[in-house]
Amino acid sequence: MATQVQPNPHTHADVKVEEHLAKMRELFADAPEVGKKALENVLARLEAQASLNPPPPMESAGRVGSRIGKVSELTIIVPFAPGGARRLRAFLQLFGGNLAGADDVGTVHDMRFVFLDNDTKMLFATAYDGDWDAYIDDFASKIPDFLDIIDSAWEGWPGIRSPEAKDYLAAHQVTAEGWYVANDLTVAETRRLRRIGEAVDEFLDKVGDA
Amino acid sequence: MTIIKTPDVAAPITIELDDVQATVLRQRPAPYYGTHVLLRVDDARSGRALLRRLTPHVDSAAEWWRASDAWLAVAISYTGFDALGLPQPALRSFPDAFRAGMAARSAELRDEGVNAPKNWEFPFGTGQVHIGLSAFSGSLEKWHRIVEIARDQYENFSGVAVLQAQDFGQQPGDLNSLGYKDGIDQPPIEGSGVAPLPGQGRPIKAGEFILGYPGETGAPLPGPRPDVLGRNGTYVGLRKYQTLVGSFNRFLQAHAQTDDERELLAAKLVGRWRSGAPLALAPDVDDAALGNDPERNNDFGYRDDPHGLHVPLGSHIRRMNPRDTSLALLTDVNLHRVIRRGTTYGPPYDPTAVSVEDDQIPRGAYFLFMSAKAPATIEFLQQEWVNSGNFVGLAEERDPIIGLQEQDAIFTVPKAPVRRRIRDIQTFNVLRGGEYFFMPSLSALRWLGEEH
Repeated sequence: MATQVQPNPHTHADVKVEEHLAKMRELFADAPEVGKKALENVLARLEAQASLNPPPPMESAGRVGSRIGKVSELTIIVPFAPGGARRLRAFLQLFGGNLAGADDVGTVHDMRFVFLDNDTKMLFATAYDGDWDAYIDDFASKIPDFLDIIDSAWEGWPGIRSPEAKDYLAAHQVTAEGWYVANDLTVAETRRLRRIGEAVDEFLDKVGDA
Repeated sequence: MTIIKTPDVAAPITIELDDVQATVLRQRPAPYYGTHVLLRVDDARSGRALLRRLTPHVDSAAEWWRASDAWLAVAISYTGFDALGLPQPALRSFPDAFRAGMAARSAELRDEGVNAPKNWEFPFGTGQVHIGLSAFSGSLEKWHRIVEIARDQYENFSGVAVLQAQDFGQQPGDLNSLGYKDGIDQPPIEGSGVAPLPGQGRPIKAGEFILGYPGETGAPLPGPRPDVLGRNGTYVGLRKYQTLVGSFNRFLQAHAQTDDERELLAAKLVGRWRSGAPLALAPDVDDAALGNDPERNNDFGYRDDPHGLHVPLGSHIRRMNPRDTSLALLTDVNLHRVIRRGTTYGPPYDPTAVSVEDDQIPRGAYFLFMSAKAPATIEFLQQEWVNSGNFVGLAEERDPIIGLQEQDAIFTVPKAPVRRRIRDIQTFNVLRGGEYFFMPSLSALRWLGEEH
């Protein structure tokens, strides 16, 4: 007959967990009923999971932004320059909304361009490999015009070649409070694994058919 | 024999050579001797007085291509500028990484585990390293003389303390602590007065290496203010490594049977043979004549070796300068170059050393590197090209010579029909300390020494 093993209530880790959960209840005291009920439902589960290995915490991506393992996030909110929304929308539509030229950059997992508040401002969000600072100078050197076409839609954009460009990006970037990545794989690793996977399948097919 | 270059009359000199410190352009002599001295400034007036005494003995880079006497180089850390009494607006104009100091940038540098600053040797990481003074020479007696001159300025000078003095060089054949000829590849700098050596590529804009000139994008890189402080100056990084010769030899013996196979495996790790001959030109055996010839030993690219069958994609020199390698990530390799003035210290490489005790013998490298954005560059290199293999499709593999290896680390040697993946590669060079410095121009040194 299995016995329930209770965690020793006196371990330091458990005291911290209890403190956190008590704080959660306090914070949710004036939450909407839907939220309060949901929290009570999961509290028991949270308590049990807390004694297992916690997931790796979010780290800084460098100057701004968050990172989990190898994948960082960049989220920018920026006002449009006069006519900027119209021009950028048209440019994106040239490519069916899909700037697949980013394939050549090699570090970009995804990009989203979201126009807000009646085309007065936009949100630009991307998941990319490595730290914030790492390849910005390389992009400015290799694809400056591509970047300037997009970024010139933004109010006050100084141009990617300007020494103020990095400060502009950092000033409009908001570091994420939460960040989740399903696979700690870079774009290059993912492409390589897909090639290898296809080759292995082909090989096994041949072995299976023999 | 020191390489004496000839000036390139076709290319105009656009750098103010007589204001730049000699060591920024003057190559390391062969043979080379010298001393690194680390100083702490305890009193601002004394520190400024020391600069006034030292500055007349600091050579400029005028006619740097001629064979020369010994020379001194002076560089100052952020805490050093503070100790010298540099005003707050000037202090704040330095970039964040320089102001923090190398120890505080350990996350960006991936200096963790054995390389973490908490494991560093005194005085590194304490904030006390204020002034770095290096003497370089091509002969024993000139070395003794220049060290005497330097010592006369700082020894028994109250208000300034000597933290460390480390002699370097005097290595048979100028080989490094792993028994290799090093320091071969250097970036060619536009406007410096000398044509590039074969294989160096086209001259890179001066502003990437010296502040006050246009960089590759056309604009000068940001420098400290006022202008007199930054112009003609550059940033210097120092990383002191302890070489684990025993580990290196044990690894070679574990993964190769004969002497020839061990030498080939070692060459695959480095990218060159011990003579300096590049694997790209000598894929099967060493060629000492090639290694010794500066007109030939760097004259190669990687276009004909896209899969690394001759020079593994993860080998040390291919990582540090990928040249025309087709990279997985959009990169401008010319933005990531540094001038290198590394020096070897301790007893020479010993091919018979295999014990753990051998690993502890103090011997290794003072890796000195310079550029107009050296802190940003070394942080990029450490993140992207040293402690990761992603940029060449090698996932998490690290540089076999200076990488910080994790447990069960792998090094891939591309081969036909099937690559060889060597397991359990170790960290062969352990970081013992380091610091970021700024190397002011001669005008800036005089300005810093003034009493205002």
